[in-house]
Amino acid sequence: MDLHTLAAGLAMGLGGIGPGIGLGIGFSKAMEAIGRNPEASGTIFVPYILGLALTEAIGIYALVVSLIILFAS
Amino acid sequence: MVHVEIKAEELFAIGPLIVTNSMVGVLLASIVLLLAAWWFTRRSGIVPSRGQSLLELPIEFLAGVVRGTGGKRWRQFAPFVFAIFLYVLIANWLSLLPGVGTIGLAEEVDGEKIIVPFVRAGAADLNFTLGLALISFVAFVAFGLRANGLRGYLKELLIAEPAYMTPLLTPIHLISELSRVISLSMRLFGNVFAGEVLLATMLALTTATVFILPLAFVVPGIFLGLELLFGLVQALVFALLSMTYITLAIAEHRQHGSSDDHSGEAPEQGAAPAHGSA
Repeated sequence: MDLHTLAAGLAMGLGGIGPGIGLGIGFSKAMEAIGRNPEASGTIFVPYILGLALTEAIGIYALVVSLIILFAS
Repeated sequence: MVHVEIKAEELFAIGPLIVTNSMVGVLLASIVLLLAAWWFTRRSGIVPSRGQSLLELPIEFLAGVVRGTGGKRWRQFAPFVFAIFLYVLIANWLSLLPGVGTIGLAEEVDGEKIIVPFVRAGAADLNFTLGLALISFVAFVAFGLRANGLRGYLKELLIAEPAYMTPLLTPIHLISELSRVISLSMRLFGNVFAGEVLLATMLALTTATVFILPLAFVVPGIFLGLELLFGLVQALVFALLSMTYITLAIAEHRQHGSSDDHSGEAPEQGAAPAHGSA
């Protein structure tokens, strides 16, 4: 068993915590907003997708690092 | 279990230019896009036929989004946003076709037989996504320069609002400008590459069970559908983020800044609702 495997797993697992919490908060707030004002769902959609992409980027960084550790070193 | 190559594999070289299989994928996307543009504009008219109006639906949706967020001058950069969206979308969806990433020459590396595919997903190579992100960077800097003038742009970039904060805020500002390139390119690359690895892993996990349960026909299909959705979302995100950066660069005006360089647009900027909501 290689230490690389452990490092990759840790990088992805720990790196997934923050974006997971962030995405959950963002999604719940967007649903709350749509629930309060269903007509605004069209307006909310684009900023929601943008915020989702920006939050998710952190998780993607962790994924790229972990893949590089796993396959390129 | 699954062979994963982060770099795009070389196919052949024309002089100093090395052609990788990702380049083939991207070129295919360009060809598809050019042919589609030629084919659909050949018989287009003011009164759309049924096929034409079907094709205009997604463009109208995107135009609505750009108009809603892009502000008053959305027509200037709408073609750029559409082009990025269509290019990334076609490149992502082409990579899901059967044969892409699977048909290739067998090669022996370290006593292990691997396949070097002829075509690889374009965005599964950092060179493609970094190139697109650099184009987007040049675009939003150029739009900012055109809207604010050189002096206005440099002043906006280098001098912070209370002048004594400049040494602290200017490096942060510069780094945040540059980090946009990295985050744009890494996001697309990471998503598409992870999608490829996910599909390969799912196929490898389920082919073992194929004699008992035909899972290998069902499970990767579900994930292929997921990848269709992700390809669309990532193309939308790349285009919308580029648009947001351009909008920010155009709207970056101080109330009493050096916006007198282009007197014709000054009143329009003053009336913009960007600062009025405070």
